[in-house]
Amino acid sequence: MTRPNRWRSPLFARLLEMRRNFFILLLALLAAGCVTSQPLPKINAIRTAQLFPPEALVTQRGVLTVHGRQFTLNGYVARSVTRGLRLIITENLGGVLADVLVKPDGKVFVLKSNPPFRPAWVEHYFAADLKCIFAVAPETNGPVQVLSPAHFVIERRSYKLELRTVEVKPGLQPAEMFDEIKGGQR
Amino acid sequence: MKKLAAMVWLMFAVAALAADNDALQPVTNAKSILQDLQQKMSALKSVYLNFTQERQLKLFAEPLKSEGVMLIGGPDQIRWETTAPFQSILLANHKSVAQFEQNDGQWEKLKLGFPQMLKRVMDQMVLMTQGRLDALTADFTITVATNRSLAVLTLVPKDENVRAMLAALEIRMPPDFSATREVVMHEPDGDLTRIIFTHERRNVVFPADTFDQAKPLEIAAVRTAVGDAP
Repeated sequence: MTRPNRWRSPLFARLLEMRRNFFILLLALLAAGCVTSQPLPKINAIRTAQLFPPEALVTQRGVLTVHGRQFTLNGYVARSVTRGLRLIITENLGGVLADVLVKPDGKVFVLKSNPPFRPAWVEHYFAADLKCIFAVAPETNGPVQVLSPAHFVIERRSYKLELRTVEVKPGLQPAEMFDEIKGGQR
Repeated sequence: MKKLAAMVWLMFAVAALAADNDALQPVTNAKSILQDLQQKMSALKSVYLNFTQERQLKLFAEPLKSEGVMLIGGPDQIRWETTAPFQSILLANHKSVAQFEQNDGQWEKLKLGFPQMLKRVMDQMVLMTQGRLDALTADFTITVATNRSLAVLTLVPKDENVRAMLAALEIRMPPDFSATREVVMHEPDGDLTRIIFTHERRNVVFPADTFDQAKPLEIAAVRTAVGDAP
């Protein structure tokens, strides 16, 4: 693997100055590393979607490991078996890093992405990971391991994401949450 | 007689409401206010605070809440610990930063990516809590506004890239600037994060290992030591 000179580009230097977002260098890491999302072999065949209520708001704490370095994330997943999945990812102090909607037919809408996450990465990685765990018809080769009903590990070539479910609030979520037009105007 | 009592209560209620909703008036000489604030807070050697963090997203009917404690010891030691709905500890001092996550009852020290970024955030939190806002003027434009019940320090990032993510940061204090009550982070799209501080204990003596970056003392022991045990 090679790491191109974008590590030292003026843009990258400016990004370093962004005080709140210590995930900035993930941008470079993901860009420089293997960005193919070829999954590793599936280890655990459990249908993870069955672990959650059909309509719910699920809070997860994640530890993302990229090239041996770890970053913490908070994920809020609004789930509706009939209307889709909505994932909002925040950093430690609450800033939104990504907001993505997955419709029941699998179509993905990236509604927000902040540095270091580009829309394409949110679509290719976060949406895929979301489907792996929560979709009624998950991807058949999703690289998710289930260590316990509240503890998952997703391992791809470029990163490892360890997720713990910390709160589940069953109940219908607002309809606009699953509307890429109304729910996308944020 | 009952009518009179009711009227008196009503007057009190209206007065209280008016004080809270009193329009904030901008202070013209913010620099002198900041100097006063720093002088008042200079006697602060250490502080213990509980916090509730409320993430208000327009799409969610209720705020997403977490809670924990913030400890500041000495000039540059900070411990930011989330206790619910998950457990995580951030520790920083003038040299380094560390983060721990609790997994199945055991604390795991993370191999932090780019710790200098996290350390910078933690340093700024220490400066804000200690009223040393003059040190932040390189990064923020600071204005002050007050009314009878509230003083609000507004920090607007100077860097437009930062402003794209953080429109403004407000520090809400009593009018005498004696304590930080709330920090509100406004995002450009109207979403916000509110951190509400309570149970303040000043100039407490923290037990050894409270800020240890190899094996920090359990928060229950710290709470007992500072007199905030549940």
